Formats: sequence, C-alpha cells, structure tokens
Amino acid sequence: MTKKDETVNPVSKDNMERLDILIDELKGIFSNIKAHEIMNTSVVVIMPDRTLYQAKELMRLRKISGLPVCDENGMLVGIVSIEDIIKALENNYINDKIERWMTKNVVWISEDEELIDIVEKFSRYGFGRFPVLNTETHRVIGIITKADILSTILNKLKNLYVRDQRMTNVLENTDLHSISLITGEKLDKSGADFYFEINYTDINMAGVGAAKLREFLLSKGFNEELVRRVAIATYEAETNVVIHSESIGKIYCFIRDDFIKVRVEDYGKGIENLELAMQEGFSTAPDYIREFGFGAGMGLVNMKRCSDKIVVVSEVGKGVIVEMLFNIKTGREET
Amino acid sequence: MKLSEIIEKLNLDVVVANELDDVDVVNGYTCDLLSEVMANCKKGTAWITVQSHLNIVAVATICGVSCIILANDHDYPQETIQKAEKEGVVLLKSKLNSYTISGELYKLGIK
Repeated sequence: MTKKDETVNPVSKDNMERLDILIDELKGIFSNIKAHEIMNTSVVVIMPDRTLYQAKELMRLRKISGLPVCDENGMLVGIVSIEDIIKALENNYINDKIERWMTKNVVWISEDEELIDIVEKFSRYGFGRFPVLNTETHRVIGIITKADILSTILNKLKNLYVRDQRMTNVLENTDLHSISLITGEKLDKSGADFYFEINYTDINMAGVGAAKLREFLLSKGFNEELVRRVAIATYEAETNVVIHSESIGKIYCFIRDDFIKVRVEDYGKGIENLELAMQEGFSTAPDYIREFGFGAGMGLVNMKRCSDKIVVVSEVGKGVIVEMLFNIKTGREET
Repeated sequence: MKLSEIIEKLNLDVVVANELDDVDVVNGYTCDLLSEVMANCKKGTAWITVQSHLNIVAVATICGVSCIILANDHDYPQETIQKAEKEGVVLLKSKLNSYTISGELYKLGIK
C-alpha cells in the first residue's frame, strides 16, 4: 500500500517582509512601556541558605526556569537558573546551599526602565529572566521573562485594533476551514459523526478526546486494530493542541464507507517550520512537559505512521489543521 | 502468561487490580516517552516505566496494554489511581529498576 504525505506551509516570503514593515511601524507605539507594566509581580524568590535541590523542586512545582535569591530583608543577593540546577545534578552538588553556587553579580532591571532597553538587555546578556528592583529600596518587586514582554505587547495590540491587509491570513483567505485538505470536498462540520472540543489546558487531561473517539468507534463495531491507529493518531494531535497551541481545539471524525477521517484543528500559535516538525525527534516542548514523558518529537511521526494519509497545514499565529485518513477495508500490515 | 503469575513471580505490588479478568501478557516494553510507548506497545504488553502521572492511564487505554509496572519504588498519584480504577487499567509497582524488571520478565519468557 502506498502512503502519501504532504506538508503545506503557506507563509510566503512576501508576506514575511510586509510583516517586518508592520512591526517597524508598531515599534513606536511600544517604546514608552516601562518595566513595571511588563513584569510579573507574583515573583517566586528563595533564600540563600536553602539547597539547590529545594530550588529545583520550587522551579518544578511553579513551572519556572529561574529564581531570584533574596535575603530575609528581601534584598537581591543572587539568582539561580535551570542551568545551575543541571550543572549541580551533573556534578553531584544538588544538596549544597544555594549561596555557594548562585550567580552573585545579578543583572537587574529598575522598575522604570523602558521596553527598548529591556529588550536590549535580553539580547546583550542572553539571560532568560531579569529581576525588577524598586529604584529606592532595591527590593525585588517583580521578574521579567521574554514571555512577559510578548504578552504585554500582545495585550497592547489587542487594544489597538490593527486591521491591515497584510495581516489577513492565508488560512482564512482560502477558507481551508471549510474544505477537506485531503479530498478537497466541501466539509460540513455539522455533519461530523463525532465532535469533541479540546477546551482544557491541563496536560494531565490530554487524551480525553481520543479516548472518547476510541469508545465511539468501538461502539460502531470497527475492528480493534483500526480503532487503535485512529486513537493513537488522535491522541498525538490532541496533546499537540494542549501542549503547543495555547488555544482551544476541535476534533471531528467523519465515517465514510471506506475510510474514517479525523480532523483536528486549533487556532493557536501554529507551527513555525513544518518540515522540521515532521522530523522524528524534533520537539519544541518545554522542560516541564518533557518531564511528563511528552515532547519526544514523535507526535507528528506517530500520526503519519498510524494514518494512511495525512495533511498538515499551519501558519504561525493562525493555528494548525491536521487531517488524517484511515482506510477501513484494506487495514494495514504491521511494519 | 497470565498476569497473576507474573505478579506472583516478580513479587509486584498491586495498586489497581482487575479482578474480573486475569489478562494475558504477551510481551513487554520499557520506556518513559509516551509517544514511543504508543508507537510500540501492543495489546497485551506489560509496560514498564517510571512515569506515574495521570496520562499514563490514557496511553495504556489507547494501546490496550495489559498492565503498567512502575519501577524504582515510585508511587502513583491519587488521581492516576482513580482514573485507572475507572478505566480498568491494572497498576503495579516494584522496588526494582526498569532494567531489572525487564530482565526478570524476559527470564519468565515474556519477550
């Protein structure tokens, strides 16, 4: 049996250039944002007499990648990051006190520093985070990561209502949301035999939709091996939505005479480089996700392996559509 | 080989049992990456891992594995146990590490 795979990445170079121009224009609007508007104020700090092991646990539980170290008066004395923890684990001093190994010359940001200068600091030092200090008391009042900068900018953008021809997205234009990527037929989603909304963000819940689809298909009398393939591929697509998209997603299943079609859509951040994403072992999953055993870079590979035909369409910032066909009659030989 | 026989021979702790059906174990697979597990586990596989979070139950259900054997004396969180009870997934645990459990299983003829 032959299997054909296609990847489509409809971001043209032209579009990218126009986006660059737009970003330049927007820069002016963002120039007077101050550190205290960007920072995350619920900053987690740790005392220097705690151990690196405790720091590691704190980072794991709070899902953060660095901790400012403060003395009992709230004065900044150092910083520990994931890198420090990794080194400590490698060299077996994870039970040492933080003060021995923390970075003592901390580069910090004062609360009224401007966005442009902050961005400059990120690129100059290459650090993942900067503590924000009150200008007078020198106490830690917040922390800024790249993600904080991004979300500040996005929030500003929301208020701006930018409607620019340059921003119209390819996915909307070609209306891929209402045609089948594989067969090209018009898709009546209300006629789906199965529908599930991925509306949760808790990674622990991942797979609920796939499990429901599995039960549904078994109840329809499909053979176990076929259902297994559908369930695995759907599970992978579903966890991708939960881990990566930062949006809700939808699972549709259409049952036809000779195939089952599963379509998983999300409206999130999209895939930057589809070719790379399709490669076995490639993953952009964050550390805490990997700790759970996800992020092996096998998701799309597994989907491809389990389905008889797969098409993935994505654009950065617009979401991902995965459509998969599973042949009913032929089944598939074990490879 | 029947699961009950394996539990007895490897001296495994039974955290969630399936009393109704003493399933067959046909082979084993040792891995902590969920995608790999899904790609390689078959119906009737004994899955050996150190992962204990909720999602292993979903993976086990989808793959139809016979049982999960948690290695290195790790503990299952309460929510994993509840979900496994609901889904009928057998949860076992052992003080041995993944390598040793795999070896013991292999010696029993589970390949």
